[in-house]
Amino acid sequence: MIPFAKIVEPRRLLGCAALLSTALIALAAIVLHGTPGVAILPLIAPQQLRLDFASTTLALPFLGLIALVVPAVAVWGLRRGAPDDGLRLALFVLAMTGVLLAQSVAAFFLAWETMSLVSAFLVGTHHERRAVRRALLSYILVSQLGALCIVAGLALLAAHAGSFRFIDIAHAAAGLPLDLRSIIIALLLLGFGSKAGLVPLHFWLPLAHPVAPANASALLSGVMLNIAVYGLLLAAFGLAAPFPLAWGVWVMLVGMLTSITGALYAAIDSDFKQLLAYSSIENLGIIATVLGVAIVTAALHDRTLTELALVALLVHTVSHGVFKSLLFLAAGNVAESAHTTDIEHLGGLRRVMPLTAPLLLVGCAAAAALPPLSGFASEWLVFTTFFRTLPIAPPALAALLVVAIGNLAATSGLAALAFVKLFGIAFLGEPRTVREIALERPDVSLLGLGWLAFFCIAFGLAPSVLFRRMIDVGAALSGSTAFDPGALPTLPVLLAALPALGAVGAIVMARRRGVRTVPTWTCGSLVTPRSQYTATAFSKPLRRIFAFVLFPEHQQIRDTGASHWFPLRIRYTFSTRYVFDEVARNVAAVTQRLARRSRIVQAGLLRVYLVYAVVAVLIMLVVAR
Amino acid sequence: MNGIFQFACLVAAAPLLQGLLRSLRAKLQGRPGPSPLQPYRDLGKLWSKEALVPSATSVLVIAAPGLALGVALTFAALVPPITVGGSTTAVNAVAMALLLGLSRFVLVLAALDARSGFTAMAASREMTFASLTEAPLILALLSGAVSPSPEAVSAADTPVAGVLAAGALLLVMLSETARIPVDNQETHYELTMIHEGLILEYGGWQLALLQLGAYVRQAAFFVLAARMLPGTSWLTLVYIVAFALMIPLAERIYAKMRLFEVPQLFASATVLALASIGLRIAGLGTW
Repeated sequence: MIPFAKIVEPRRLLGCAALLSTALIALAAIVLHGTPGVAILPLIAPQQLRLDFASTTLALPFLGLIALVVPAVAVWGLRRGAPDDGLRLALFVLAMTGVLLAQSVAAFFLAWETMSLVSAFLVGTHHERRAVRRALLSYILVSQLGALCIVAGLALLAAHAGSFRFIDIAHAAAGLPLDLRSIIIALLLLGFGSKAGLVPLHFWLPLAHPVAPANASALLSGVMLNIAVYGLLLAAFGLAAPFPLAWGVWVMLVGMLTSITGALYAAIDSDFKQLLAYSSIENLGIIATVLGVAIVTAALHDRTLTELALVALLVHTVSHGVFKSLLFLAAGNVAESAHTTDIEHLGGLRRVMPLTAPLLLVGCAAAAALPPLSGFASEWLVFTTFFRTLPIAPPALAALLVVAIGNLAATSGLAALAFVKLFGIAFLGEPRTVREIALERPDVSLLGLGWLAFFCIAFGLAPSVLFRRMIDVGAALSGSTAFDPGALPTLPVLLAALPALGAVGAIVMARRRGVRTVPTWTCGSLVTPRSQYTATAFSKPLRRIFAFVLFPEHQQIRDTGASHWFPLRIRYTFSTRYVFDEVARNVAAVTQRLARRSRIVQAGLLRVYLVYAVVAVLIMLVVAR
Repeated sequence: MNGIFQFACLVAAAPLLQGLLRSLRAKLQGRPGPSPLQPYRDLGKLWSKEALVPSATSVLVIAAPGLALGVALTFAALVPPITVGGSTTAVNAVAMALLLGLSRFVLVLAALDARSGFTAMAASREMTFASLTEAPLILALLSGAVSPSPEAVSAADTPVAGVLAAGALLLVMLSETARIPVDNQETHYELTMIHEGLILEYGGWQLALLQLGAYVRQAAFFVLAARMLPGTSWLTLVYIVAFALMIPLAERIYAKMRLFEVPQLFASATVLALASIGLRIAGLGTW
């Protein structure tokens, strides 16, 4: 036995305990589902500022996700990461639980803002680096603008309902006039969509998520993005329900664009954590597409299909949350051992990290939607949802659904490329430039990864475990109880049986017949670590094929020295342009320029301000006449 | 029972199909060519030989051939028997495409583990092309499953859509089975091979497993494409023979495409698949 207390610092134990207790709170909220909940009425403005908390059906999958992911993060923190992370993370989880439990506008906004601020602190952990400060700034800007949109939307809803409690708002939602409904929907979609990293409001995500410590990234990508999904669901199937059909189509379109964009950028990325962040964008895009289908089918009054879509959405949300947390924690292990997450410098990590490697492989395979892992089960369900919606859809919508199927197929293909590259380049072969990495010791933090990997496999092999819990939620939101998952409950086992048998058989055969170890064939030249393929090279064909959106550029600098034919050094740089980021940057630049221009009105002279006041009063009088 | 029998036939005849394609191509090129039974002999020879594994590689390299064969067999088992009406079901369509991804994933990892530039280059191209063929593959397979009833129908209702879907599947198959114009099975030049390059490090009985898997997958694609076309079970066999004549002819006529022109081929496959599924949904495409 490892002498536990001697190795683990007390601060880490405290942080772990705090995190575990937040997971317990989430569990308790699940158990307390159906109870009346609590209301806190403040002394001033008791109705507007009332804080209601209750455990609703919609929150259950998300609370469940917290209860699943947080223990892994807690255990991971016992040996890895900064010792003081635990308490901050616990506060973060608490805020997220608060968002899920909030049942009034003030409670929701309070929890949402706490969540945003604490997560901003997590993103800014290494604020001594310039890149981190830049990421932090764009994160805070987007999340505060998003929060403004959300609070405006909720305020309009509350004004219409005459109450600040969600339950009243939801009851009054059916009577919303169409134009007001559209404004509210637009505001809420902007607010929650920006938090979920939907294109074109995603540009902060690949900056912010990778710079946070690994355990914070795991919670940001694995849980917080899904809180945004909760917000979208809350809006679409609660507070502002029902959404008109056209909005469902818009959500689908945005989701499709998001998923393919995220997958493409993930496929060409060569930074471990940034690749994961783009993969999060991809998966949130898939989730948004299914949400669009759920909205559309609800608008078409097909409750069975709405339920199917919601179940697919929730299953994919949980599956993504689990494997993405696993991948980010594994990225933390890599960062701690190799002191870099740039996979161009890595290679052969499986030898020094023999325990992280198989766990990471499970996560990668799940992210690539390979049978029999959880990612396969959830993506299969998403495909089925699209397919089964086809017969009831009007022609234009059916065409869109077909494109969505193709888009999802291409997305999963690109995701497979991204993750095969991630594992293959970083963990297989030989070390590239970072050579001296200490052998990984089996420690308690790996239990956290193992826990998540276990669920990747369990949800893949026995997806009905996950369904059974989601069906109630889907039924409650859609009003249907006819969910039929089709062939999925047994499908992954059937698919995996022969390949698994084959793999084991090949290993046994190799043992019995023996294999001869020989040098790798390279036409007689030497195999050196630098002669291995790089991640950039691996994705080069893709960059060329998608040059019309990626705009790849490369530059070769040859340090020729004495002879042209024997260069001393060749430096190769390449870049791609991120179109959406450039748009965002241009918008920011224009805003800044306008702000600078408008400074002219701030003359600093009292007389001028008095004139402003008089003009303002005059305008008010005219308007209010 | 019938299904198992047909599955066994498909697996047993898969090398024969490869042999026929190969000898037919040789005839078209004016060479005597090998006997159609040559693949069986090759498999037997490879099976008796020892396997060579690149040094300092992981267990993935050893497990990959068996896994790939397992995937190919499962893929073939998911192809509906030709005596049953219906081409594919929605259940199988997606599962089949993602299943192929599993063997590709592991083979690419094995290729990267070998540390060779050749295998890694092929791996990169294989993954790139696979990500582009995923959409036409799933769409074409799903097209076979679109019908008013939840279960699969016979393709006879919408023959035009069936032809388009079969076309898309055949184009995808060219990539999956390393055929001209995507790849060339006859070449053994490390810098141009895609599928062969991926498994360059394998030899002996491990290569036999991989080859058998590739043959089975190819035969399954033939049956799938044939099932998309209208007709009864015997007609399906006729279609398979027709494909077996068509493909060597196409390989005789066309040259290998430049690598970065191949995506256009996949784009046309996607268009075919989209058109096919679109016709099916609209209920059009009857003669």
